[in-house]
Amino acid sequence: MPIAKQLSSMELCDADGAACRLGAFWGERPVVLVFVRQFG
Amino acid sequence: MFCREQVAQLRDAQHEIRERGAELVIVGNGAPHFARAFREDFALDGPLLVDPELRAYRSAGLRRGRVEIFSPRVAWNGLRAIRSGARQQAVQGDPWQLGGVFVIRPDGKLTFAHRSREAGDHAPVADVLAALAPDAPPVEETVAAPRAQVWLGRALGALVDPFIVNSFDRTGFRIHALRFDPNDLDVDLGGRRCLVTGANSGIGFETARALADLGAEVVLLCRNRERGEEAVARIRAETGNARVSLEVLDVSKLADVRAVGARLAASRVDVLVHNAGVLPDARTETDDGLETTFATHVVGPFLMTKLLRKRLEESPDGRVIWVSSGGMYTRALNLTDPNWKKRAYDGVVAYAETKRAQVVLSELWARELAGTSVVVNAMHPGWADTPAVASSLPLFHRITKAILRTPAEGADTVVWLAASPKARETGRFWFDREARRTHFVPFTRNSEREARDLWKLCEKRARSGGKTPDARRRKVAR
Repeated sequence: MPIAKQLSSMELCDADGAACRLGAFWGERPVVLVFVRQFG
Repeated sequence: MFCREQVAQLRDAQHEIRERGAELVIVGNGAPHFARAFREDFALDGPLLVDPELRAYRSAGLRRGRVEIFSPRVAWNGLRAIRSGARQQAVQGDPWQLGGVFVIRPDGKLTFAHRSREAGDHAPVADVLAALAPDAPPVEETVAAPRAQVWLGRALGALVDPFIVNSFDRTGFRIHALRFDPNDLDVDLGGRRCLVTGANSGIGFETARALADLGAEVVLLCRNRERGEEAVARIRAETGNARVSLEVLDVSKLADVRAVGARLAASRVDVLVHNAGVLPDARTETDDGLETTFATHVVGPFLMTKLLRKRLEESPDGRVIWVSSGGMYTRALNLTDPNWKKRAYDGVVAYAETKRAQVVLSELWARELAGTSVVVNAMHPGWADTPAVASSLPLFHRITKAILRTPAEGADTVVWLAASPKARETGRFWFDREARRTHFVPFTRNSEREARDLWKLCEKRARSGGKTPDARRRKVAR
């Protein structure tokens, strides 16, 4: 399955704990989606 | 140190990213308080998300493991990162996880994909910016699970599967998911019509949403109109698929099943998912004189399958899926008192017995439809955190909440059976995309004759039930 589809409905929390649906970020504009190894 | 180097590079390019009409979205795998400190360190003003369970990392096909972290190239990458000013901080997240960078356009096309092969293997910023050009071509998206990961998934699965808790829970799903092929669900279900009972919440909802996301027309069959309409609206909004609709149906009421079944049979049917379930505290009886659990799990779905049989056979790739339960392993088929008229009622036992009956019926339907395009399978979702479990088994839910699977994880095998080209076997019982045994202990086995008797019982009940409620009432009055 295309990655955008796999990730689209997934909900993650932001740094303040608010839930965000990943697909909403690229609904209207392109995104550079960066997965970091860890925060250290 | 490495992730800080990559983020610093992209943050410095943020102005150019935004000039191209794009946004920088960063996902990390530590806790939210690590993310807040990270945001302050880098003065980030864009979205910063956390994925401590690594769900998005796995879906994106990102690598994880000690071999990748200790690759010989890592030392060289470390020197480069130190020269660029990055310094190692305390580990704040999963130390064995690697990262990656993707550029995703609003149409869902990927124009850039970089999955780190080892720590410090970063995406070149110039390539990321080039992928934001309006004419940037989409990249090939085929992702294969690394062979070592598949092997590890099989080995760990063999270890945990004998222990129910560690197999049915979310750890079990994550272990089994290591061997999933990410391309299995790389399918377009456009033109196919899927029906899902009990679809307004839990596993049914996640199944309906996933099938809609794959482009299918999906009909949600729900008892409650208001909750069903909410579910339809949510799926339409989240998937952008307008071909999602509702039929109000209580599958325990055979008159309703006949009426709705006739309406549904007016057009094509490719997939039928028998997901609706109940677990009442006390014995209740339907208008047809059936115990409610038996009617909901067994007779209603049997009748629905009969009514839609012709449409399913017309499909080039028809599929019927019975969402059973791991609880069925504890009980044998009960044909002496399926309606609980001779026994003190026990809802959990009634549930397990009817879930066993579903597995037997699935095998019988597979035989009945052998030689057609239709495959019939049963599955169990493991222990998932659904509203039904929370309300019907509050104590179990309270004790196990921390280890329960998400509803989407519970629905994964249903979606796979409904959509994957690989899922074309028939008459099997599945768990986490793998065919499983249907008995752990000898006393749950049934004879061929008992299986045939179940079919006859369903035939008889489905034939009489829901046809003439007035006549039935008259008979009772006499």
